[in-house]
Amino acid sequence: MKTFIAILGATTVLGVVGSAFAADAGQLAMGKERFDYWCDTCHAGDPREAGRFLPGTASLNAKYNGSRPGALVDRTDLLPPYVELVIRKGMEGMPFFRKTEISDTEMKAIAAYLSRNTKQ
Amino acid sequence: MPIKLPPGISAATFAEAVKEFQGAVGADWVFTSEEDLDTYRDAYSISWGHDDEYLASAAVAPDTVEQVQAVVRIANKYKIPVYAISTGKNLTYGGSAPTYSGSVVVDLKRMKRVLKVDDKRNFALVEPGCSYYDLYQHIKDRGLKVWIDCPDPGWGSPIGNALDHGIGYTASPYRDHWGAHCGMEVVLPNGEIMRTGMGASPTSDTWQDYKYAVGPHVDGLFAQGNFGIVTKMGFWLFPQPESWMTGTVHVPKYSDYSALVDHCNYLEDAHLATGQTGYGSNLGGQGVTAAPEYRALMANGWPTIEQLDAYAAQRKVPAWRAKLQFYGPEKAVRASWAYAQRRISAAIPGATFTDIEFSTLPLSPAQEKTHHLVNFGIPNMAIFQIVARPAAGPNNANPYDGHTDFFAVVSRSGSEVFRAMKAVYDIQKELKIDPITATPFSSPVTWHHKVFFMGAGGVGNQRGDAEHNRRMRALYAAYIEKMAAAGFPAYRTNPGAQDLLVKQFSFNDHALLRFQEALKDAVDPNGIISPGRYGIWPKHLRQKKA
Amino acid sequence: MPIKLPPGISASTHASAVKELQRVVGSDWVFTSEEDLDTYRDAYSIRWGHEDEYLASAAVAPKSVEEVQAIVRIANKYKIPLYPISTGKNLTYGGSAPTYSGSIVLDLKRMNRVLEVDEKRAFALVEPGCSYFDLYRYVKDKGLKLWIDCPDPGWGSPIGNALEHGVGYTASQFRDHWGAHCGMEVVTPTGEIMRTGMGALPGAKTWQEYKYGVGPHVDGLFAQSNFGIVTKMGFWLMPQPEAWLTGTVNVPKYSDFIPLVDHCNYLEDAMIATGQAIYSSGLGGPQNGAEVQALMANRYPTLAELDAYAEKKGVPAWRVKLQFYGPPEVIQARWEYAQERIAKAIPGATFTNFETLPMPLTEAQEKTHHLVNFGIPNMAIFAGMAREPGVADPKDGHTDFFAVCPRTGEAVFKALKLVYDTQKELGVPLTASPFRGPVTWHHKCFFMGAPPVDSQRNDPAFNRRMRTLYDAYVKKFSDAGFPPYRTNPGAQDLLAAQFSFNDNVLLRFQEALKDGIDPNGILSPGRYGVWPKRLRPKRA
Repeated sequence: MKTFIAILGATTVLGVVGSAFAADAGQLAMGKERFDYWCDTCHAGDPREAGRFLPGTASLNAKYNGSRPGALVDRTDLLPPYVELVIRKGMEGMPFFRKTEISDTEMKAIAAYLSRNTKQ
Repeated sequence: MPIKLPPGISAATFAEAVKEFQGAVGADWVFTSEEDLDTYRDAYSISWGHDDEYLASAAVAPDTVEQVQAVVRIANKYKIPVYAISTGKNLTYGGSAPTYSGSVVVDLKRMKRVLKVDDKRNFALVEPGCSYYDLYQHIKDRGLKVWIDCPDPGWGSPIGNALDHGIGYTASPYRDHWGAHCGMEVVLPNGEIMRTGMGASPTSDTWQDYKYAVGPHVDGLFAQGNFGIVTKMGFWLFPQPESWMTGTVHVPKYSDYSALVDHCNYLEDAHLATGQTGYGSNLGGQGVTAAPEYRALMANGWPTIEQLDAYAAQRKVPAWRAKLQFYGPEKAVRASWAYAQRRISAAIPGATFTDIEFSTLPLSPAQEKTHHLVNFGIPNMAIFQIVARPAAGPNNANPYDGHTDFFAVVSRSGSEVFRAMKAVYDIQKELKIDPITATPFSSPVTWHHKVFFMGAGGVGNQRGDAEHNRRMRALYAAYIEKMAAAGFPAYRTNPGAQDLLVKQFSFNDHALLRFQEALKDAVDPNGIISPGRYGIWPKHLRQKKA
Repeated sequence: MPIKLPPGISASTHASAVKELQRVVGSDWVFTSEEDLDTYRDAYSIRWGHEDEYLASAAVAPKSVEEVQAIVRIANKYKIPLYPISTGKNLTYGGSAPTYSGSIVLDLKRMNRVLEVDEKRAFALVEPGCSYFDLYRYVKDKGLKLWIDCPDPGWGSPIGNALEHGVGYTASQFRDHWGAHCGMEVVTPTGEIMRTGMGALPGAKTWQEYKYGVGPHVDGLFAQSNFGIVTKMGFWLMPQPEAWLTGTVNVPKYSDFIPLVDHCNYLEDAMIATGQAIYSSGLGGPQNGAEVQALMANRYPTLAELDAYAEKKGVPAWRVKLQFYGPPEVIQARWEYAQERIAKAIPGATFTNFETLPMPLTEAQEKTHHLVNFGIPNMAIFAGMAREPGVADPKDGHTDFFAVCPRTGEAVFKALKLVYDTQKELGVPLTASPFRGPVTWHHKCFFMGAPPVDSQRNDPAFNRRMRTLYDAYVKKFSDAGFPPYRTNPGAQDLLAAQFSFNDNVLLRFQEALKDGIDPNGILSPGRYGVWPKRLRPKRA
C-alpha cells in the first residue's frame, strides 16, 4: 500500500495526459468548503495551538524538509487521483474517510480544490 | 481482503439481507464492495492484515431512527450481527471496525443533527453522527454561552465517546462524558424505540434536566455495551466561565509527590481548582532515558524512593509539578489560586509556583494559537502530533501506522502511582522490550477527577512488519493481564483485547459478567447487537468457561 | 391483623420456609408473631387498616452477606417473595412494609457497619443498616475532615436513601445521593454475590474511586428496583470546607423570579454557589392567608396580578438564600460576584441576611442553623408533624409528592397553577398558593411539591379519600408533564404507567431484564411497577 502511494505521489505532472481534472467554480467552492470542514483541522497552513503547525502540516513539513510546502493548500503538484486515494486509504497516522463522511462527489471536489494550482 | 461473511450465514442469505437493507436505506447507502469496506477497517488496528483482523461484511448508513429500526428488524430476521458506529473515530480503541468479523456495520454518521442546546438550563441533545466540531460550531454560530467538553480529537462523537467511557479536559463535572449525559433514545435489539429517564414521560420537558425516570435506571447498559443502538443523547454543559487562571506548583523532593496529590485532591473535590490538574515531572521528558545519570540511576533495577530523592537533589530540579486550573469570575479564581498556594506552601517545604497566567474568556483568536485548546472546550486535532512526525520523535523516519492505547485505573494517591509506574516497568523488563520506555517519572492523567489513569505508552502497529506487530500484541496482552493482576486494569480497550480485559474482572467466578450475560440474553435473544463488545457474547457464541 | 400469607403459598409451605430461615439466622431473628409484624407496617400508610394494606408474612434479619445469600436461596426454593429494607425509615414512601403483601421482609438493619472512610480520597463504604447518624458519628469520632450529605431525617440509611433516588442538602455534587455512589456489592436474585465497578476486579483499590468497571454498567438497575439486594455501597464524600457563607437575594417583582432562576442556575452550574439555593417568597404564608385566598377566589391570578399584589404589599416577591462552601476569601469573592451579577440583571434586587462562619459549626451554632446544610444529621423535619400552635390534631403520617420540573421560572409558575387547578377540580380544600418556591435538592432540575396527603389511622374513610386524592395528583401532574420522582408502593404501578412513551417500552424493557435475572420472581415483586412474569398484570 505504502509503495503504491509512493509511486503515485512521485508521478510528475508531465506523466499525465490531458486535463482530466479541470473543475468549475461550483466544484471548487464545494471543495474548499469541505476541505475547511474536514481537512483544515490537521492540514491548516498557519500555526495553531501552542504555536505549532497542526499535525498534518507538521508531519509533511518534516517529510518534505523544504522540498515541498507542508500545507496542502500551498501545493502546486497534487493530482486528483492521489488526493482521492489518500482520502479513501489513509496514510500513516491519518485514517481513511468513509462515504458517509466524505461522499464521492465531495471527495472529487476536495481533490479538484487541492489540484487547482497544479499546472496542466 | 475478501469479504468476510457473517459466520453461519450463506452467501445467498446474505445477499437477500443486503437487498432488504437497500430497501430500507436506499442502495446508495449500503456498502458491499471491497473498496468501500476498506473504509470500515480499523485504521489503527494492531491486527492489520492478519488473519484475525476485524472486518465487516457490509455497512449500512441509515438517516433516521425509523431506518435504524428497519435495519435492526432485518438483522433479527436473518440473524445477522450488526455493529453500530457513530462518527467511527474510535482510533486506538477499534476505530470503525466491528468487534465480530462478518458483522454489518451500522454507520450512524448521517444522523448528525444538533437537536437542542439550552444555555439557561445548560444542556444539549444530539444525534450520534454529530461531532464535537459540529456541536461547537452550532453553539458558536448562535452565540450561546455554554462550553462543550471534548476529548483530544475533535472529530469524534459526543455520543460515541460517552458510550465508550471517554473523557475530556474542562471542569470536573463535565470531564466524565458518560457521567455528564442526561437522557437517551435507543433502538432496542427487537427494533423498538425506547427513551430513558424523563424521555419516557411523553408530556415532560425534563429529559435533559433529570437523569432518572422511575424504576430501574437502565442507561448504564448501553455504555461499553451491546444492548441497543443509541440514536439520541443529552449532555449537561458547562456554562461559559468568565475567566481562567492557571499556576504550576513545583515540589522539590520525589517523595513530596504524595503530599502534592493529597492537596490537589482536596482542591478538586472542594471545587476550588475547578479545572483539570496536570501532573508532570521535571525529571522526565524527551531523551531522559539516554542521559548517563539516568542510566546510572536505573543500573540496578527500579530505584528506591530514597535514591529518587537523591537523584532529584543531584539534578537540582523540583521533582514534580502540578499545573492547576481555575474557571470562574476573576476575583474568585484569583482567591482560589492564592488559597492553593498558601495551602501547599504550608504543607510542602520548598514548594514554588511558576507559569501563572490569568485570562478573561473566551480566548481571543491569538490566544487560541498558544493555549491548550481542550482546556477551553475548543475541539481540535493537535493530539495527532503524536502519530505524525513530531520534531524530535522516535518514529520520524517511519511513523507508526497506528497504535492502541492502554490507560490503567489507579487510586488517587502517590504510593499507588509509584506502584503503577513500577508495574509497567516490570512488564517491559520481563518482555525484554528494548528500549524500556517506562521511567519513574511518569504522571497520571486526571481526566476523571476522582481517580487517576496511568498510561503505559501507545503500542504501535507497522503494517509491513509482522514480527514487530506480533511483539507489540504480546506486549499489549501483557499490559492487560499483568496490570490487572496488580490491581490496575485498563478502563477501555480495543476489541482484540476486550475478552482478555473482561476476564480480569473475576470477583466471585465472574459473577458480574454472568449477570450481564443473563441481561443480554433476555433482551437480545438472537444476539444480533455487537456480539462480543466488552466481552458480552450472545448465548450462541459464548465460550464455555474453564 | 391476621398474618397475610404470600398468594399461592400454603401455611405449611410458609412454615417450612420459616424453619429454614431460623436455621440460618437463629430463631431470635425471624419474626412471625402479629405483634412483631406490626413493626413492619408502614407507619405513615394511607392504607392503614384497609384490606389492601401492605403487610409482611414474616421478617428475617441477617447479620452477614452469607446469611443474605442463604435466605435468597430459601426464597427461591419455596418461591416466597422477599422485600429488603435497610433502616426501614422510608416514611412517606412506604416505610418498612413490602410492596407485595405476604412477602417476607428482609431486614438488613443488623448489617450496619461503616467499613471504610478514606479522608484523602474522600469516600466511604458502608452497609445498608448503617444510618446517617452512624456514619456521621464514625467520621466525627475519628476526627476525619469529611462531611456526609444527609436528607432530612438522620436515621435513614445512606444506601436505602440512594436506592430510592433520595436527595440532600450540601454541595451540588453530593445532593444526588445515587449520583454520588461509587461501587456496590449485591446479592443477586439467585443468591450470588456480585460486586460492580472496580469491585469486580480482585485486588483493585479503586472500588470507591472509579464508578465504572468495563462493559455495561449495571448499577442503575438496583435503584428504585428489585434486581438484587444491596449489601455494600460506596459514596463520594465532601471534604470539610474551611468556611460557609450565606446571603439572601431579594427581588421585588413576582415576575423577577424568571431571571432570578436563570442567574442562580448559572451560579450553581458554574460551581460558584456550591451550596444549595433555597427559594421562598416573602408573600404567602399564614399572615397573608385571607388575602392570598382572595387573590385566587375566581381563578388563578395572572402574572400581572401577582406583580401588582407584590407591589401593593411592598415586600420582595421572591428571595433565594445562596450558600457557599470554601476558604473565606474564595467564598467572599464568589458571593460578591453573585451580587454584582444579579444587581446588574434585576433592578431593585437587594441582598440581606449575610452570614459567614468558619467550619465546623460550634455546638452553640448547631442549635441555631439548618443542620442538613452542614451535613449534620438530625430529626428537625419531624417538627412539621408534631404538635405546635395551630396543629392541635397532628396526623398519623402523610405520603409525599414531589414533581420533576424544569429549572425555569415559567415551569415553576405552571406547576404552582397546576396544584390550584387540581385541587379545584377535585373539590378539596384549597391549599395551593402562588408563593411557594421549588426545592433544589437536585441542582439541575427543580422538584415542585404538591401538598402532602395525610393519613389518619383511626379514620379509614378519610384515608380512602386521601388515596383517591393522591392517585389524582399522580395522574394529573404526569399528564401536565410533572410526574413525581418517587412514590409509595400503592401508587407505583400508576406512576410507572405514566412513563408511557412508545407503549410503555421502558417498562417492558425493564420487565424483560427482570425476567432474565430473577426467574422465580422472588425479589420485591411490583417495586416501581416491575412485576415478575408470573404476577405481571395482563395487558390489552
